[in-house]
Amino acid sequence: MNRNSRPAFDRVWQQQLSDYVGAIAWSPRDPILAAASATGEVILYPINGQPQVLNPPSGQPMDCIAFSQDGNFLAAGGQDGRLRLWHLPTTGDIPAVPTHSLPAHNWVEHLAWNPQHNWLAFNLGRYIQIWDATQQDLIATLDFEASSVLCLTWHPDGQRLMAGGYQGAKLWDSRAWQDDPYVAELANVSVALAWSADGQYLASGNMDRTITVLEWHNREPSPYPWVMQGFPGKIRHLAWGRPSSTGQAPPLASASVEGIVVWQRSADPNVGWDGRLLEGHLAWVHGIAFQPRTQLLASAAEDGMVGLWPHAQRLSAVLQGAPAGFSCLAWHPSGGYLAAGGQQGELLLWSQRSI
Amino acid sequence: MVSATIPDRVPVTVLTGYLGAGKTTLLNRILTHEHGKKVALIINEFGEVGIDNQLVIDADEEIFEMNNGCICCTVRGDLIRIINSLMRRRDKFDHLVIETTGLADPAPVIQTFFMDEEVQSQTHLDAVVTVVDARHIWQHWEADEAQEQIAFADVILLNKVDLVTPAELDELEQRIRKMNAMAKLYRTRNAEVEMDVLLGVGAFDLKRALAIDPNFLGEDTHEHDQTVSSVAIVETGAVNGQRLNEWLGVLLQTQGPNIFRMKGILNIEGEDHRYVFQGVHMLLDGSRDRTWKPTDSRTNQLVFIGRNLNEAQLKDDFRRCLV
Repeated sequence: MNRNSRPAFDRVWQQQLSDYVGAIAWSPRDPILAAASATGEVILYPINGQPQVLNPPSGQPMDCIAFSQDGNFLAAGGQDGRLRLWHLPTTGDIPAVPTHSLPAHNWVEHLAWNPQHNWLAFNLGRYIQIWDATQQDLIATLDFEASSVLCLTWHPDGQRLMAGGYQGAKLWDSRAWQDDPYVAELANVSVALAWSADGQYLASGNMDRTITVLEWHNREPSPYPWVMQGFPGKIRHLAWGRPSSTGQAPPLASASVEGIVVWQRSADPNVGWDGRLLEGHLAWVHGIAFQPRTQLLASAAEDGMVGLWPHAQRLSAVLQGAPAGFSCLAWHPSGGYLAAGGQQGELLLWSQRSI
Repeated sequence: MVSATIPDRVPVTVLTGYLGAGKTTLLNRILTHEHGKKVALIINEFGEVGIDNQLVIDADEEIFEMNNGCICCTVRGDLIRIINSLMRRRDKFDHLVIETTGLADPAPVIQTFFMDEEVQSQTHLDAVVTVVDARHIWQHWEADEAQEQIAFADVILLNKVDLVTPAELDELEQRIRKMNAMAKLYRTRNAEVEMDVLLGVGAFDLKRALAIDPNFLGEDTHEHDQTVSSVAIVETGAVNGQRLNEWLGVLLQTQGPNIFRMKGILNIEGEDHRYVFQGVHMLLDGSRDRTWKPTDSRTNQLVFIGRNLNEAQLKDDFRRCLV
């Protein structure tokens, strides 16, 4: 993309679910988007082709949805206390086969597939279970202890799983699940966790309106975390971008209430990280994500706007289509497509115009 | 800015009371009553409540200390998590009831509605309703939980009145009134009470006038035989805003853990509007209210409910804020 050109996106289609789109996810293998709604629908939407309903409306919201790293499995969880898994054969045209439905007493609010294996981590209240979808076997049950699990993410190396909640974050090693986790006492309550792609930085968005960033070397964090303050509310979303040049730290985007702040590590060690406020949204931001391989940031907000911010700087374009507000967004792994869900069931797909 | 785009906030009723006081009976009444409201219910104790076509959510009480320099600043993490998810099916219900366990301190629940901006943007606290077993309250009168549940209440149901004598009831009522001068008291059997005294009370609505028992305000001296009590201050004259701020700041810093609730209407120097405020422990919320009417006497009214309150000092300190 030319540095001075504005990103241009065209609407490919708009679909309609029956209620609030709680989560969307792209298949890493096929040109397919999956969406889950507050009435419990789980639907596959091919970029070109007919939607396929995997789960009809049940009345119980679906809160999370994710594809396995190889695209062979789709998992969804929600407030009916069941984890649902579908096996997706190698071409998108063949109907998905439900493989499993694990009963759970609590809501299933967080799902995370391992980046290397078909291992699915999900939470049941304060417990985390890891399910091997290929072997159809439960690998481990972990206890977060301090509270319900509020966020869940794998380390990019695939060997470690991190969960956040009251009193910080805990990191388990997949080679020894039974060992006590490493405890990163980050802040009072960690509600969002994100690793930079190289695994060098871990950011935690906290309920006390701060962000904590830890730098890691050789599987050990630096004893001196950076703490960013001055937010209007808890930090609900974090996204690491791509370094603008080699040797630089990646930028970190953060969303709190209607504000987005992008942090860049300063060359001056006394400064730490410089933040810049991205102004444009008029209501709660419900999702932020960098376009794969570029520095274009997209944001979805309650004001009915999907904002596009080249170089994570100025708002250069706005996409619309959910007048009551957007609820989530996701870039296709190629970066060529952007999808966003709406609070009244809207689902929109845009493609980037080639220059 | 945000409020322009969000729908009406859902009112929330917090229901407290000892086990066996009649909470479950009252809950069933709320859920089955033909009040035309669709009620969602968050409960800690899955007991006999089990009603179809209602939204009933089982929650574990998760207390988070917020650690911003205040030992009493705690919130309910489970409520933040649940309410924010629940709001995705916003159109499915129009009132939220939170039942706490019999031994729960109501403060973390209430503070959640003051502290969490996401919860605040979607819901508002309507009232704290406490059910008191008129017969058995005497057995746990000394328990902190029992006293706190009464102290935090906006509405108190003196339940099971058929099991005690009228004299005992009068004594109980007086005693409760001294602890909490703001709450509305109702004598009930089987928790039978009109729904409009429970739902849609607006007790945390700053725009509604203070409701202090006029008898309480009339009294000059109080017996100090109990640690939890109410102190009412009624003074005419204008208040110096800066001095008031300084006093409240110091008061909440030093007495925050002991002050359960406070409310006030103030006549600020140079202002044509009433200033109203309320607080829970160290959290304070205030705003400019309607203009004083020509017929108003421009009287400052403050009520503190707390433990070991020093009435004389509170009154002296407030008088020093007067112009």
